[in-house]
Amino acid sequence: MKLRSPIITLLTGAVVAVGLWIASMNAATSATTAYGGSATPTPAASPTVASAGAASTAPAATPSPTTTSPSVSPSETTSNGFIIPDHANYVGPVQAGGGAIAIVLHDSIAIAYYCNGKTIEEWMKGVPAHGHLELAGKNGAHAEVDYALGHARGHVHVDGFSYTFSVIAVHKPSGLYQSIAVVRGATVKAGWIVLANGTEVGSVELDPNAPAPKAQAAPQLNLTNLTANDGGVTITAKSIDGETGSGF
Amino acid sequence: MAAQFGTPDPQATRRDPIYQPDNVAKILVIPALIGCVVALTIGLYGKLHHATGIAVNIAGFSSPGSVKAWLATVAAVLALVQIGSALVMYGKVPRVSAPSWIGGLHKWSGRIAFIATIPVAVHCVYALGFASYSTRVLIHSVLGCLFFGAFTVKMLVLPKRGVPGWVLPVLGAVVFAALILIWFTSAYWFFSTFGIKR
Repeated sequence: MKLRSPIITLLTGAVVAVGLWIASMNAATSATTAYGGSATPTPAASPTVASAGAASTAPAATPSPTTTSPSVSPSETTSNGFIIPDHANYVGPVQAGGGAIAIVLHDSIAIAYYCNGKTIEEWMKGVPAHGHLELAGKNGAHAEVDYALGHARGHVHVDGFSYTFSVIAVHKPSGLYQSIAVVRGATVKAGWIVLANGTEVGSVELDPNAPAPKAQAAPQLNLTNLTANDGGVTITAKSIDGETGSGF
Repeated sequence: MAAQFGTPDPQATRRDPIYQPDNVAKILVIPALIGCVVALTIGLYGKLHHATGIAVNIAGFSSPGSVKAWLATVAAVLALVQIGSALVMYGKVPRVSAPSWIGGLHKWSGRIAFIATIPVAVHCVYALGFASYSTRVLIHSVLGCLFFGAFTVKMLVLPKRGVPGWVLPVLGAVVFAALILIWFTSAYWFFSTFGIKR
């Protein structure tokens, strides 16, 4: 029986869809991390890789549970040979020019902040679990992160878009800063991410309680006294720092 | 996006006052059920599958979002061609008689529009999933499922004989309306939020 052309159209669409679906599965698998309690644990994550990643801070780290490295603090653990810190700040840009992300861990609490320096920003919270983190925020914003000493990667989903990121651990003054202030009678919530090279990315939410908050670019944050000038009003920011526990 | 393949021959069959199938529902029930299965499959997979945030990307664009916005815009523009050519074919445009190539225009604009929507839909369903965290996103998710269901019904009904004259225009209108609303809740939102960018 001769196939009618509408059927051929449908079948062509189905074949293209299945092809892209398979390609997407491959793309997602290859982007999945191999460390820190990810969905695809790789037994090949060797202690040499871990110590190379940990550089000078943890030369003696091994995955053996019976060996405790003196240079690693007792609270830190290992997963697949990677050292999993309890206190860390990760910041960096997300892929495809979509903005920046900061992930800050302090013991059992993790805070993540995504912003694009203008219209979109989201605060997310989560609980660290052996190198893996799932964070959630308002409006369905969420992120999945795998992290280890020095490095974190994952995906963040904000307002219907997903961004992949692979970011590094930083120390002050790089990191995450927040300000919640009353300006001209309204509560404004601002966030700044200071990248490893000193670049600031900041957004300010003019009404954090609005159902669909609209953000705009935050005023420049002065890192020496942690203040910013919002249209003539001086607002004060605090550091959210996993290493000192400030802001937690 | 009413890809209307068999060049309509309303005088011969669909509006034939003598030829009336004993039961029109019998012709339409199977395509309708298959369309429902398609829509439900997309929706349930999108809801149950753990959204990965990643799908294949197309080179030359700044982000998956902009690829999708532009492909959706191509589909939406071709959908306007679809409506225009359908109106001409059905003789609804005063003082315009259907040229011989109008059927080909309708078929090929429909085919291209449909294929353009596929990468967008795969990315939506695979990387983002069926979501409901805002009105825009909920409308978009529901209509996305409806669109492919309705398009499937239309394609399956097209080759059938004895279909009442109102069926194809209605199906085409549903497919067109769904696509345009999908475009407004995604590409239009994208361009107005992030600016028109490649």
